[in-house]
Amino acid sequence: MMTAARTGSDSPWAVETRWLTKRFGSIVAVDGVDLRVPRGCAFGYLGPNGAGKTTLIRVLLGLTHADAGEMSLLGHAVPRHRDVALARVGAIVDEPRFHGHLSGRQNLQLLAAAREPAARGRIDASLERVGMLHRGADRVSKYSMGMRQRLGVAACLIGDPQLLILDEPMNGLDPAGMQEMRDMIRALVAEGRTVVLSSHLLDEVERTCDAVAIVDHGSVIRQGPIRELLAGASVTLRVDCSHPERARSLLVGIGVAVTVAVEADGLAITLPGGTPRDVIADVARILVGGGISVYRLQPVQTSLESWFLQVTSRLGERE
Amino acid sequence: MTTVPEAGAPATQPDAMAPSRDRRGSPIPTGALIATRFLELRKRRGLMITLVLVTIGIPSVFLAVRLLLHAVAPATYGPAGGYQTYTGLTAGVLYTFGFIVAATLGCTAGSVDLSEGMFRHLVVTGRSRLALYLARIPAGLAILVPLVAIGFTVVCAVCVFAAPTTLSLNGISVPAGMSQTQLDTWAADHATEVICDLPSTNVPLDVPCGTAPTGPGPRISTTPPGNPVAPSEAELRAVATRVAQQNWTFYERQFRYPSESLMIKTGLWLELEAAVGFLVGLGLGSLLGQRTVALVLMIVLEVVLTPIVIRVRIPHLENLERAVVGVATAHLEPGQLPLAFGGGGRDFRLTESTTTAICVILAWIIGWSILGAWRMMTRDA
Repeated sequence: MMTAARTGSDSPWAVETRWLTKRFGSIVAVDGVDLRVPRGCAFGYLGPNGAGKTTLIRVLLGLTHADAGEMSLLGHAVPRHRDVALARVGAIVDEPRFHGHLSGRQNLQLLAAAREPAARGRIDASLERVGMLHRGADRVSKYSMGMRQRLGVAACLIGDPQLLILDEPMNGLDPAGMQEMRDMIRALVAEGRTVVLSSHLLDEVERTCDAVAIVDHGSVIRQGPIRELLAGASVTLRVDCSHPERARSLLVGIGVAVTVAVEADGLAITLPGGTPRDVIADVARILVGGGISVYRLQPVQTSLESWFLQVTSRLGERE
Repeated sequence: MTTVPEAGAPATQPDAMAPSRDRRGSPIPTGALIATRFLELRKRRGLMITLVLVTIGIPSVFLAVRLLLHAVAPATYGPAGGYQTYTGLTAGVLYTFGFIVAATLGCTAGSVDLSEGMFRHLVVTGRSRLALYLARIPAGLAILVPLVAIGFTVVCAVCVFAAPTTLSLNGISVPAGMSQTQLDTWAADHATEVICDLPSTNVPLDVPCGTAPTGPGPRISTTPPGNPVAPSEAELRAVATRVAQQNWTFYERQFRYPSESLMIKTGLWLELEAAVGFLVGLGLGSLLGQRTVALVLMIVLEVVLTPIVIRVRIPHLENLERAVVGVATAHLEPGQLPLAFGGGGRDFRLTESTTTAICVILAWIIGWSILGAWRMMTRDA
């Protein structure tokens, strides 16, 4: 950040934006975004289609200009110190595309030449890391989507990046490839790098990332570590019991639950976020005391996907 | 799931000092960048085949056919080389087609990164966009200049080594490849043949030409009435020299092969034309962001607009006509060549100074380069 943030390696933030805004005519694609991505973590940037995820990434990387606001990458204000900032940034934006008539290795040579001289020496290691060393001599036009995706990651790695920004990196990967990508991201983070992952595959993000930001209609509506965010989300208590209707009426009368729904095999009780564990014991006690046989009682933590849908749907309701 | 490190917590950071050692913000492209741009263009098989076919293939095939025909039927088909072949191929083929292939290369170099999605990858490296643009210039010229040079060398070689050794002028066998001075000397040495057989006008001398006139020259009496005194040797030589001078223009066209200075001038002129086509195409391709439209515009400029502008005088707009780059490069054409855009020997060119022509060419090159670079620097990637 030009004014507020510390610069260079002193800054605790790999990415920091303040009131970042980008418009396309009358459409506000990025609407006053304040984002802070801590260094050394995997950070998920989530949002529905058209929420402005890719646009924000494009602005950060200098692929398009911002209309207002300030931003920094690795503590360097961009676009003022764009060259210094991007020297240690690797990114895939949208679908990774390359010169189809060149081999994967030649494409990387082209990109390495645009980076520092040492980048050329990292080509083989990068190809090996993404499992493409044996196909490096093949023309990219013969690559599958998943292979191009891997080559895109290799293109990021030749710059020995401190920050990787990956836009939908799981696209086109088979399940094994997704697992490898997930492992690689975790390994990169373990090396001290920061990975910003834009995706709508919430399950993958939950399994890969430490922190997330939710973007909708161009604005960041929530951000923070996943555990903290989900801690505030509601908990569903699944109860397998006799006489579900009677059980429901007992619980509704007490008012501990947000909702109590009768399902085929019992009840689904939604408890507010942050509900103490003792409440669950109280529920069991009330049911047993009311003559209901309880066969099973299982608290289910809200998944990132459910939470995401709750958050975004609440916004929709507000509108 | 690992926990998020506390803000500012030290992490094992990769080498953070390395970027300060490279000057990726500099607009000057590095050698490695130029080399990889060269590689990227050279690996375009279709484009390279087209370039080679047009710059080398067309003149080679044309000359090979002429060589073959002359070898099979020398009486019917003249030598493959010679001055006329040279001028026809250089001013008629290499000039126009050289421009078009150069424009093709330029438009390709200017647009493919964008159309093939590599521009985004390159911008993300942090490398100066101006450097990315400028790297294409030496890379493209490194491909183009040798190709044009090879094609031109083939033409020169055949025109020199497969040129006629003698020329027949009205039945006289005249040695080929002489300069005007050499022709004058040769004519003086063969005064009677020259005076009697070569066409000439106003030759104030009666020369005995034997029993009958054999050529269209000044009819010269066989037994001059009232002038029993035969002309002296010196007079004959002087008249023959004069006749040779009158025939020089025709002889020059039949020159055995072009002079070295003409070949050098022509080669530089062709390279200039190709460089102009490449640089303008590069700027236009970068400006438009796609190859096809840019290339069509370049072809229209070279094949339609420039010949029209060269031939048609538009009152009050002659300065505008002079501003067309093809008019300027045509002005710099070596004098011994026929007009590059045809015309059956007539010269339609506007009168202008060489300085003006050079200024117009520089303005086109610099102007289109600035436009292309500006668009590349401001374009959304």
